[in-house]
Amino acid sequence: MGKGWCLFFLFWPVAAVVSCAMAPMVGWSFPYDNAQAASNLGIRIDGLFYLILLVTAVVFVGTQAVLVYALWRGSNNRDERATYTHGNHKLELIWSIIPGVILLFLALYQMNLWADFRIKKYFPEAAVKAPIAEVTARQFEWRFRYPAIGKKLQPKPQADDLYSVNELHVPFGKPVMIQLRSEDVQHSFFLPALRIKQDALPGLQIPVWFEANKEGVYDLVCAELCGWGHYKMKAHVIVESEADYQNYLKNLTQQQFYDGLGKIAANENDSESEATEK
Amino acid sequence: MRFGLSRLSLLLLFPLFSLTGCEQPQVNFVFSEKTNELVPEAAKPVKEALVRQFGNPFELTQFEGLPTDFGDVEGSVKTVQSSSGDEKLIRFQVEGLQDAYPKLLGLPLEWTSGKGQGQISRIKEYNYETGTIAVDKTADIEPQPGDTFLVECTRLQFGRDLYNRHCMHCHGMSGEGTGPTSRYLNPPPRDFRQGIYKYTSTKPTAKAQNADLERTVKEGIAGTYMPSFKLLTEDEVSAIVNYVVWLSIRGETEKKIVDELFFDYSKEVVAERTSEDGGESREDVMEELKEYMELDFPDTLEFATSSVAEAWEEANMEDAVVVPETPRVPDTPESRERGRKLYLGDKTKCATCHGLQGRGNGTATQDFWTNPATNEKYPNRGLHDIWGNQLPPRDLHRGIYRGGRRPIDVYRRMYSGIKGTPMPAFGGPLSDEELWDLVNYVMSLPYSSK
Ligand SMILES: [Cu+2]
Repeated sequence: MGKGWCLFFLFWPVAAVVSCAMAPMVGWSFPYDNAQAASNLGIRIDGLFYLILLVTAVVFVGTQAVLVYALWRGSNNRDERATYTHGNHKLELIWSIIPGVILLFLALYQMNLWADFRIKKYFPEAAVKAPIAEVTARQFEWRFRYPAIGKKLQPKPQADDLYSVNELHVPFGKPVMIQLRSEDVQHSFFLPALRIKQDALPGLQIPVWFEANKEGVYDLVCAELCGWGHYKMKAHVIVESEADYQNYLKNLTQQQFYDGLGKIAANENDSESEATEK
Repeated sequence: MRFGLSRLSLLLLFPLFSLTGCEQPQVNFVFSEKTNELVPEAAKPVKEALVRQFGNPFELTQFEGLPTDFGDVEGSVKTVQSSSGDEKLIRFQVEGLQDAYPKLLGLPLEWTSGKGQGQISRIKEYNYETGTIAVDKTADIEPQPGDTFLVECTRLQFGRDLYNRHCMHCHGMSGEGTGPTSRYLNPPPRDFRQGIYKYTSTKPTAKAQNADLERTVKEGIAGTYMPSFKLLTEDEVSAIVNYVVWLSIRGETEKKIVDELFFDYSKEVVAERTSEDGGESREDVMEELKEYMELDFPDTLEFATSSVAEAWEEANMEDAVVVPETPRVPDTPESRERGRKLYLGDKTKCATCHGLQGRGNGTATQDFWTNPATNEKYPNRGLHDIWGNQLPPRDLHRGIYRGGRRPIDVYRRMYSGIKGTPMPAFGGPLSDEELWDLVNYVMSLPYSSK
């Protein structure tokens, strides 16, 4: 007994530091590129995460080092006896105030980010003015309602609204906002690549904004255990150029008002296309 | 200790699983209730014939002439790995299976050339990456480079695996609509075994097109528990639909042959025939049944399978699709008004079911209706579908369109009706213009102020 324990407690801070350092290399870090979020807000959230990771790492490694030192000294020095004290007021103050200060610092430091993310007053104005779509979570799929081209999204469905399921298209290069709803139970709108997560609650319409910093197809998953088919609740968010996006809407309009005559432009991404029906 | 822990823990887990509801789904194709109501002497050959024609979930078979893709793939031997004398398997590398479904394990492999021609080996090992297959070593089979073979059923098996992963939970192992989750769902999942699907692009009496079913899988059905499977690939969706159609054909074939037998050989009828009033002896009836089985049953079976297969084939022809002759009549207030008059008029009687305001509360919902299958009155008021579920007429103000919300979808609902439900087909009685007026009226309802 003694030296073994020293090694045991020494092992953990070393293992923690090594695994954190190696995580991005072996793909255990953040989703997508292992480090880089696909939105600027996401990059700021990652920054906050790394800051907290650093603070906790320093504290963890520091306390472990003290522990190992104490064990090491104890196991080498059989003559020195431990003494009982009734506590140390100064010490108590120090280890209460330092964490308190750290927590207060983090609380103040993240306020701007939180406001930008969640408080509608600080949302990008353009996105708030023209929500791109209404997103309805439902067991077990995502349904989307876009306003007709050139019109604004209304709270209530309109005759010329456009609909799709499990495939949300958004334009690239500008912040976009959606109105999130749930049709049945509680779901959660989760875009891991963009670090966006917002619960969808029945009866509420919750605005969520995001801006991808590169084009691409991103996973949209449900982050709330919403029933047995929860794992099936997957969709794609397709971030594309403004021109492609307008094209998509045009295509969707054509398909949505298709009267069964003539051909409509087939859109590769869209199964609504009647082209398969020959 | 050797006996102990693992078995003990299994024993302990058993009640845990049963308590927590981790129930095992049915792992066999089930036979219909009607089949089980036949006297055992009649039920047995029916069941045997079905197993012969369609196999079981682990070993699917398909008879010739079915419109589903069984999925044969051809391959040839590239190299044979020399094996030591006492090995039980022959391993060889193959070419030509690159596009096949990766799980060939357990499937039969038929040799089409070489020494083993005509022999069937079962695939004991299959490595998709290296293209290595292993089969049992027998005296007749000695593969040489260049020998060709055929592996059957890859497509159907691919569809089965996907179906079991994504669909079986609700629709059941045999497509009977009673999977483990089904009892919590309303409307209940479709029973495929009648071969009837509600939302199709085809004419009133035709079956569904593969494209219709693919669309349903990809888009889901709004307002029901059928979700969208849009993230599956086109190939996966078509494999699922291929398998669903195959399950339908299996169920329909069973229904057809049982319907033939039911009037003479159900348990109830046989009991009646051999009762004092019936006056026949059980031996007589069984003798008659035996004769029927020998003489007529093969034809019945043949006819049932071929007619079902044919119907599915026809549905996929181009001329089965409902295509309007007139483009959509412009959606003007006048058109809507004409549509409203039609809606309320005697020619369509829409209001009887859907109500004067289109709220789905017409007078028909207050009547007791007769079940066309049994000629008995339903115990509940209101309309029913052929699967026996109570079926409220749609509230047209909700803006939820189960069969799709495009004008063409709504047109087709009116032209062909909704199959398996009391919603009739107006394709004959109404002209194209009238149908479009009606579409315009109905589609305006969710946005009207009333
Ligand atoms: Cu969910």
